[in-house]
Amino acid sequence: MSVNPVLDAARPAPQAVAAPRPFRPREWLEREAVFSWLMLTPPMLFLLAFLGYPFCYGVYLSFVNRPVAQPATFVGLANFVNLWNDPIFWQAVWNTIRFTGAATVLKLVGGLGMALVMNQNFRMKGLTRALLLLPFIVPTVLSTVAWQWILDPGMGLFNRLLMFFNLVTQGPSWLGNPTLAMVSVILVNTWRGLPFFGITILAGLQTIPVELLESATIDGAGTWQRFRHVTLPLLMPVIFIVTTFSIIFTFFDFQLVYVLTGGGPANATHLMATYAYAISMGGGQLGLGSAVALAMVPVLGLVLLAMSWYVRKD
Amino acid sequence: MGHPTSRREFLKLATTGAAGATVGSGWRPRKASAKPAQITFLRESSYVKEFDDYFKNVLIPRYQQETGIKVNYEIVAAGGSAVPRLVSIVESKAPVDVAWVQLEWLYRDGLLDVSDIAEEVGKKGGGWYPAVKDLSIQDGKWKSVPFGNIGQVMVYRRDWFDAAGFTSFPDTWEEFLEAGTKLKKAGHPFGMSMGHGFADNNSWQLPLLWSMGAQVVDKDGKTIHLDSNETAKAVDYVRKLYKDACLDDCLGWTDPANNKAFLTSQISCTNNATSILISAKRDLPEMGKVTDQALNPKGPKGRFHSLVATTHGIFKHTADPEAAKHFLRWLMDPKQVTGWYRSGFMYYAPFVHAYDHDPEWDKEPRFKPDQKVLETGKLPSWPAPADRRAGEVLSKWVVVDMFAKAATGKSTKDVIAEAVTGLKQIYG
Repeated sequence: MSVNPVLDAARPAPQAVAAPRPFRPREWLEREAVFSWLMLTPPMLFLLAFLGYPFCYGVYLSFVNRPVAQPATFVGLANFVNLWNDPIFWQAVWNTIRFTGAATVLKLVGGLGMALVMNQNFRMKGLTRALLLLPFIVPTVLSTVAWQWILDPGMGLFNRLLMFFNLVTQGPSWLGNPTLAMVSVILVNTWRGLPFFGITILAGLQTIPVELLESATIDGAGTWQRFRHVTLPLLMPVIFIVTTFSIIFTFFDFQLVYVLTGGGPANATHLMATYAYAISMGGGQLGLGSAVALAMVPVLGLVLLAMSWYVRKD
Repeated sequence: MGHPTSRREFLKLATTGAAGATVGSGWRPRKASAKPAQITFLRESSYVKEFDDYFKNVLIPRYQQETGIKVNYEIVAAGGSAVPRLVSIVESKAPVDVAWVQLEWLYRDGLLDVSDIAEEVGKKGGGWYPAVKDLSIQDGKWKSVPFGNIGQVMVYRRDWFDAAGFTSFPDTWEEFLEAGTKLKKAGHPFGMSMGHGFADNNSWQLPLLWSMGAQVVDKDGKTIHLDSNETAKAVDYVRKLYKDACLDDCLGWTDPANNKAFLTSQISCTNNATSILISAKRDLPEMGKVTDQALNPKGPKGRFHSLVATTHGIFKHTADPEAAKHFLRWLMDPKQVTGWYRSGFMYYAPFVHAYDHDPEWDKEPRFKPDQKVLETGKLPSWPAPADRRAGEVLSKWVVVDMFAKAATGKSTKDVIAEAVTGLKQIYG
């Protein structure tokens, strides 16, 4: 071994060049590119398997006649032509639009109100916030069964309250009257979706710097002006995202209507999702049912377009 | 912050977890072998708990003891979820061998030929009721072995009917309307399901149509007969019945709703399976004493009932058809099946004549109408073939909604025209 450190330092290190570096899995895994792909692959495979494949299969099915347990025959656009001439399909489309529109507006307004109240300081704030999440936590089927009882004409809470306050002598039929049935499903959807809006907007509210509000106050802004010109503009990104998600969730809602009314009475609450299910699983027409489901995609596309436009704009 | 998990630890955890999940799920490849280790049998849970218990606690252990073959028992919640599950089994070829089957016209092509078993059971049982053959037989082959009919009859409060002066249940639809009108005025309306349910709607509306002389589709499976004077009479009748005799809410009811309304004393009469009477007897003894059952009223063309048939089928994709057949043959043998029928108080009325006078029927005379249903019972598709198109008519609620729209005030002509449009889309 040399004793001259200067010479040693100048001499090339022979072993580094001669022997190839052994493969070390640990080091390989530590590399950013490898690790990130390793992390990304499982969710991507998951999405491909459980979203990508069913979606592509659904697209394929919508162009074939495919009764259950029978081979498929290509029919081109026949399923869509069939739907175009199907009054129930159009009723389901309008019902879905009305249902989504009304429920989303109600959830937005209610959620904003809920968030503003929750942002104040009061006793038991933590507990109240937790309780407000309940509708979101309880499985939809369970809560919908509970709503069946609440909306019961004779025994239900709603009619009991109306009668208790002498507002009516006999309560209405919430699920038997076509108009009220739609109002009821919108109401239940709003109840269930409100916490999502409330909590998300609350999170947005808490990121608004107090200084901004204080300086607005010093400048003479009142409560409404502070809300209109400071809070609301800063909340817009959050409101936009939460509304977009809600439109998607509401548009594809199935469980609530399926359990509460089955789409009745006389198709008054039939949504595209429940109609697609009735045709596919009840009628065994997988092709036609998929065409109904696929008809929902353009709406989703528009919502995604709006979303990407908004995100890019910022 | 606590101890953060490093990437390496995370990977290790994830791999271990995935391996654990695979092992823990009990996954194993299925192979046909000389003697199968197990049979998977799927069935809808029954409204009659004793019936389920008998199968689970008596029949399964007995089969295992006699053959050494394990029976995996998969149960699906009652109330409409069985059929979607059966459809998905056929489509995904899920490892289920034998199943309790309903609405098999949707997926008959995915079922095995079980003619040998069906003919043997029919022979031993004194012959099949003919109506069910249209359901189980396809192109001359039995695709399912009929088990029993869930009798859909009129369930009513005898005390309230008595008080209104009707000492026996109305024999004709006209008398039925008269009784309903009187009872509604007395604060006890009828609750005839008219919403998007599964059976409680069709089971009185179709018999009403048929008894008026109307038909939906001809037996040729092509000609649509719905647009007729007889249908118009039935539609007018239902509109009046709804307005004068029924609780408003029944227009939006799914199947559990009329049970709930009856058991909470909101209605005096509905069309339902025996489940209401069984629940009342078990849970509300006072109401149980005054609840009774009767056959559907008759019309100018006679008395009719709509069958809610349950059968057993074997999936074509079963790994071991012989083993599946052995189990089904064993299950349908009188040594097994008689006790099973009786354990459910004949809730499922057997489709073979041998049980027409079974002593179990005498234990509770109020259940007897469920047996009588078989004499006048027709499949919901009747007289058209029980095929996929008939299934689509039901799943789109074409007939049910015709009546519902009339009840909400639409004209008879319009509602029939809309129903015919719906039928044309299905039958082409």
